[in-house]
Amino acid sequence: MKAIQVKQPGGPEAMELAELPIPQPKANEAVVKLAAAGVNFIDVYFREGRYKAPLPLVLGQEGAGEVTAVGAEVGDVKVGDRVAWCGLLGSYAEYAAVAANRLVPIPEGVTDEQAASAMLQGMTAHYLSHDTFPLKRGDTALIHAAAGGVGLLLTQMAHDIGARVIATVSTEEKARLARAAGADEIILYTQSDFEAETKRLTGNKGVDVVYDSVGKTTFEKGLNVLRPRGMMVLFGGSSGAVPPFDLITLSQKGSLYVTRPTLANYIASREELVARSAAVFGMITSGKLKLRIEYTYPLAEAQRAHRDLEGRKTTGKLLLIP
Amino acid sequence: MKAIRVERTGGPEVMQLVDLPVPQPKANEAVVKVAAAGVNSIDAHFRDGSYKMPLPFVPGQEGAGVVTAIGAGVKSVKVGDRIAWSGTLGSYAEYVAGSAESLVPVPAQVSNQDAAASMLQGMTAHYLSHDAYKLKSGDTALIHAAAGGVGLLLVQMAKNLGARVIGTVSSEEKARFAREVGADEVIVFTRTDFESETKRLTDGKGVDVVYDGVGKATFAKGLNVLRLRGMLVLFGASSGPVPPVDPATLSEKGSLYMARTTLAHFTATRDELVARSGEVFAMIATGNLKPKIAKAYSLAEAQQAHRDLEARKMTGKLILIP
Repeated sequence: MKAIQVKQPGGPEAMELAELPIPQPKANEAVVKLAAAGVNFIDVYFREGRYKAPLPLVLGQEGAGEVTAVGAEVGDVKVGDRVAWCGLLGSYAEYAAVAANRLVPIPEGVTDEQAASAMLQGMTAHYLSHDTFPLKRGDTALIHAAAGGVGLLLTQMAHDIGARVIATVSTEEKARLARAAGADEIILYTQSDFEAETKRLTGNKGVDVVYDSVGKTTFEKGLNVLRPRGMMVLFGGSSGAVPPFDLITLSQKGSLYVTRPTLANYIASREELVARSAAVFGMITSGKLKLRIEYTYPLAEAQRAHRDLEGRKTTGKLLLIP
Repeated sequence: MKAIRVERTGGPEVMQLVDLPVPQPKANEAVVKVAAAGVNSIDAHFRDGSYKMPLPFVPGQEGAGVVTAIGAGVKSVKVGDRIAWSGTLGSYAEYVAGSAESLVPVPAQVSNQDAAASMLQGMTAHYLSHDAYKLKSGDTALIHAAAGGVGLLLVQMAKNLGARVIGTVSSEEKARFAREVGADEVIVFTRTDFESETKRLTDGKGVDVVYDGVGKATFAKGLNVLRLRGMLVLFGASSGPVPPVDPATLSEKGSLYMARTTLAHFTATRDELVARSGEVFAMIATGNLKPKIAKAYSLAEAQQAHRDLEARKMTGKLILIP
């Protein structure tokens, strides 16, 4: 089968199209023939070696498709089921062997491409807005990269809950998308200082929560725009990792909370995984959550996909189609 | 009037008993006849110069007494009212003038000594357990320095809220006090590693919240004993400040939450101050909260009070009676 493999960490050129054997399922695994693989920023961290994994590595941790084989102990899925998963490496390929208890059913009304788009980023947006800092009507949230993969979904969910969304984006086109997703205020951070602007927009009171996937360039200023006892939710580092910080700044800036959540801890049990994915799929079938899938690439063009993603040219989800 | 004055910073001997004029209230101030003044570690920081204060000054920020005069514009209190305060400098004296907005009513069932003893530490224990991490029945809390000023009160409040309390202390004698106020389990950390013991006591799951006023000596291990998505509330640094924290640690250890809090942000408005102190006093009035007063000293014995405070041998609150 064809697969995208990394032998040595590096830039996009580190990804090679390889010919590998179709995997056989272990006792607790199922093999899925991929219809679509989701591309995520975390793939870049694995490709670069920022996150470690044994080499050579088949990249990609999100996919959707049909079960073609199951191991001896598998009861959660059967051959022919339409399933999706995230968090397990190997999806930039025609087939992947995945622990069966991490596969979730794709309901009628959700396509394979939608499922591959919504697993990681949809469940991330869901846990952020429903669990990490459960938004309620009347809250104000600052969402960075609001036109990005998670950003557009999180903005929709926050808006749907009735929160006021202040979105930061880098271009006018992204501003339009964020507005269409429900953002109430847009800050073009390339033109305005988001700290001053957010303070102005909240009458100097500050926001209840900051959802920050950008990290290094935004974290400190984000602490400055929180209201007393507000929360900084740092869930990514697209501009770089946030360096160690002095905790006393949290008390000085208002007895603030900080958390650095990761999706795995919000889908730790199969129960939680199935419930959370079902909630996201339900939002898709009801029309409440609109996915933007404008950037699809053949599997062989994975390098271009990563260049586009890192060049911040893209909005919404990127998919690789084997 | 008699008062303690600090003319130069240094050890307890720099606190001199002097005669000063009874203060007159400025606009928006009230003058209080001090019935009891609470002694706090922060008093020692101002006395020894580690926190800056213009010299000379009368130390002490906490107390209870009766209003004897009010300045222009004061509506929140009247002459004769029994009140308490924390934050108004000058309490080690027979009279002190302070902002009327910072004076809170003391109910008849609460003595001057109990009121003076429980403003700062009582409101701290209250905000920790009712707001910073709101305890609910069935939660498990790890409370460091469980026999300390805040600790003894926090253990009681946590038990009242239905939580299971694991306390850490430095000696067997202090363990006895912690148990007396209701701690379910007490770890003498000088003998037993609190990390492994807490894991054992929670069957490896970890606690819901760690309340940490100790800081440097306890912080890192505290992160290790939290359950998935649990919270560490850092509210003090009696062992020294915590070194800078890498946010990645929070995700690695289970998508943990952290807060670094200070009382000011939980008594930011007069309404909140009156409500919070009111709840603390109500707990004392009903017998649900028993302040522990280790010793009462005369103003003339202030130096000894500070020696005893710094020797850290006594359990409970030290108060001065002018």
